[in-house]
Amino acid sequence: MKISFAKPQLPDQGAVVVGVLENKVFTPTAQALDDLSQGGIKRALDASKFNGKKDQVLTILAPAGAKVSRVVLVGLGKAEAIDSQAAQSFGGTGLAQALTSGDTQVAIAVDAVPGLKIDEADFAANVAFGALLRSYRFDKYFTKEKKEDKPSVKKLAVLTAASGAKSAFAPLEAIAEGVFLTRDVVSEPANVIYPESLAAQCKALSELGVEVEILGEKQMKKLGMGSLLGVGQGSDRESQLVVMRWMGAKDKDAQPVAFIGKGVCFDTGGISIKPAGGMEDMKWDMAGAGAVIGAMKALAGRKAKSNVIGVVGLVENMPSGNAQRPGDVVTSMSGQTIEVINTDAEGRLVLADALWYTKETYKPKIMVDLATLTGAIIISLGGEHAGLFSNNDKLADSLTKAGSAVGESLWRLPMGDAYDKQLKSDIADMKNVGGREGGSITAAQFLKRFVGDVAWAHLDIAGTAWSKKDTATCAKGATAFGVRLLDRLVADHYED
Amino acid sequence: MVFVCWTVWWPTITRIEFSPVCEDAATQVVAAKSSRLLASHLPQLVELAKAKPRAQGAELAVLLRGCPSPAWVDLTLSAVQAVELAYGLILRAYRAPQIRSHDDDDAPLALPDRVVIRCADPVAAQAQWEMRQAIAQGVFLARDLITAPGNLLGPAELAAQAQALTALGVTVEVLNPAEHGLNLLAAVGQASTRPPCLVVMRWNGGMADEKPLVLVGKGITFDTGGISIKPADHMEEMKGDMGGAAAVVGALKAVALRGAKTQVVGVLAVAENMPGSGALRPGDIIRSHKGLTVEVVDTDAEGRLVLADALSWACATLKPRALVDAATLTGAVVRVLGRHHAGLYSNRDALAAKLLKLGRDEDEPLWRLPLSAACDDDFRSDVADWKNCGWGPVPDNDDAARFLQHFVSPGVPWAHLDIAGVSESDDEHAFGPKGAVGFGVRLFDALAGG
Repeated sequence: MKISFAKPQLPDQGAVVVGVLENKVFTPTAQALDDLSQGGIKRALDASKFNGKKDQVLTILAPAGAKVSRVVLVGLGKAEAIDSQAAQSFGGTGLAQALTSGDTQVAIAVDAVPGLKIDEADFAANVAFGALLRSYRFDKYFTKEKKEDKPSVKKLAVLTAASGAKSAFAPLEAIAEGVFLTRDVVSEPANVIYPESLAAQCKALSELGVEVEILGEKQMKKLGMGSLLGVGQGSDRESQLVVMRWMGAKDKDAQPVAFIGKGVCFDTGGISIKPAGGMEDMKWDMAGAGAVIGAMKALAGRKAKSNVIGVVGLVENMPSGNAQRPGDVVTSMSGQTIEVINTDAEGRLVLADALWYTKETYKPKIMVDLATLTGAIIISLGGEHAGLFSNNDKLADSLTKAGSAVGESLWRLPMGDAYDKQLKSDIADMKNVGGREGGSITAAQFLKRFVGDVAWAHLDIAGTAWSKKDTATCAKGATAFGVRLLDRLVADHYED
Repeated sequence: MVFVCWTVWWPTITRIEFSPVCEDAATQVVAAKSSRLLASHLPQLVELAKAKPRAQGAELAVLLRGCPSPAWVDLTLSAVQAVELAYGLILRAYRAPQIRSHDDDDAPLALPDRVVIRCADPVAAQAQWEMRQAIAQGVFLARDLITAPGNLLGPAELAAQAQALTALGVTVEVLNPAEHGLNLLAAVGQASTRPPCLVVMRWNGGMADEKPLVLVGKGITFDTGGISIKPADHMEEMKGDMGGAAAVVGALKAVALRGAKTQVVGVLAVAENMPGSGALRPGDIIRSHKGLTVEVVDTDAEGRLVLADALSWACATLKPRALVDAATLTGAVVRVLGRHHAGLYSNRDALAAKLLKLGRDEDEPLWRLPLSAACDDDFRSDVADWKNCGWGPVPDNDDAARFLQHFVSPGVPWAHLDIAGVSESDDEHAFGPKGAVGFGVRLFDALAGG
């Protein structure tokens, strides 16, 4: 979908999306359309339940007087509540109404209404961003889809009087590219995206100036990564550790920030095998790695003035004649030993070595890891918030704020010695599971043993990485949760 | 210490002496009143309840934690009693191997390095003590092996542990199952990248023409269940599914160390039961060493398969005076007998009676259960001579024992010990810590005699 910015002028074909404020207050473009149709818009609106509340929609086909094929009214709510999130929502919701309508062109009218929380250029740029995010669709494997079911929109025009809209949109477009990469790799099935092919996706980022280093099993063995390697040992696919470096700060030697992602490309559970029902979802057990890869693309794409390290541990967790067994004791790169009680608590084993390696190699200012780590987080927080665990209040606070700003909400959960004790093993330094109680917390405690004194946060995104329904800016499927959040964290705190 | 990666050494008793006096006692254990013992070192006083000397020694191992060395056990004991007390003491003082980068904060306090037990006849006590120590070494080896995780102790590593006994004069052979017609054993191990084997350990301490006592152990170094995979909960305990083999290796070490004047052969059926692209499938039919065909309806009833071949091979090859196998065989036996008795099955009353008595003497209690021809109906197959188990509410422990009987020559006195409930302890127990018990070593050593 091609996006352009144009002066406000009603189009003479295609669909047009216009906003209506709460209590049926027309924006100028809505008013102009109503005038053209001699009050036809108002009558249609009165015949419906449409009131202008946020994200309400009403589509009117071929209104008399106007030349457009359809008018999509989208509720904007109260003008003073319109922020960048609401703007994205407006763009995404409006586009969704026209996406498969048959129209090939859509215009979204962005009117400067009094009382806006953001400036007009930002408003327009975020409307375009929201529409772009919503236009994403993972449909490459539909070979027999009917033409009328396919998205028809090829061009989107954002109508705005603000001259700075296009330049405000440029960094957002780079972020969207990152989001799309994440959605792509998360949506791809495990026969297509596996450790080596996902590493190749990382490698492709070198075109944007990202330095990419790939460690194979031999190198990891040399480094003593027994924890990560044990997880992948049952699979025919070779495990990989990929390091992506974006050194965008003026001082290339400045201490970097580091993002670490869990990349279990498929998680059968291994010998502690999962039940068959729903196991297909485990193709996205690499969504943490996916988010880190997408964030690196976004940061490089918008040339962020910051030194950022992305590290992803990529493995496939399979049962086989060579698989890890429950009860095995492995030695991690840190020297700490782990009794693997359950081979299906594998994400933390991968992260343990990835975190330690990152800490030792790059001495980062902060480390943030993302992982679809526990089912327990879905029980406690559902799909609305990701779990946030941290050893540093300031970092936790920065992350929570960045999350709210981009619509990727976090909720902090507690940590403490009492939880840590649940990891006690009879023969090794720790077990990899701490029982049913507080399952997400004990997983975080486990990770904490591998971060030393570095300010660190862990985001458990098992409930937020995949959406079972369409939302304003994301079609059902991979959400790329984390990409915008990490980008925002860097933008807010770690750029020159 | 069995494995090089065991990184933590726990300070424990390294020397036990028998002496009429102790000049430099730092801890003193004395009899309190007529019925109690007292261990004291300032500022601590601890009491010991009256029991048999071996049990008393075991209790003392707990009381002496944190006490300075040497500890002087100032009791009036005969040489036999003093040795029994020392025996209980070291059995209980054992701590499982630790694989840690630093010791556990909650580790038990260290025991005194040296313990001196008052005894009027130190020479007699010392001679008996060497015999007891030999057996304890066998028990510890068995416990170490059971504790070892599956990645550190696979079939080859277990065989290597048996081969290490050659240093004590045991002759050890490792056979490839497929080359000896042990097709059931081969089939159970076929999916693992670590191949199965039959280990034969011969201790020739008796007359060359003496028929040997043959001990057979189930040695599944890890049991996932194979394609009939087990639920994930508690599956880690399956690293101990070689408890029978561990008891046999431990017993061979014990008889060798004490130079027993008898013929003993240990046979280990060793395999790792894994799922995989080359795995045995439910429904597969295998021709056993005995020639009987078996339909494998459940790949998680694998212990009886490997034992069937090992027993049949032992009967055909070794001409046993008696044949006893030990196996963590069925979950059903735990439901029947709980965690305080092993299930005993035998085709000879005399052998059963002997084992029952030795089990009582050695604190390894057994309970006899029936070998019943009625069980045959449970595992009759539609397409082969037998299937390896019956589904549904059948007495699986009895079925398994009866299944094995079909592979034992009727002329051979045979007993089967189902030790699934007693091989490991969920908590500290009378003669050891939580975890591996080493059940069977003391019993087998006593049975071997000599």
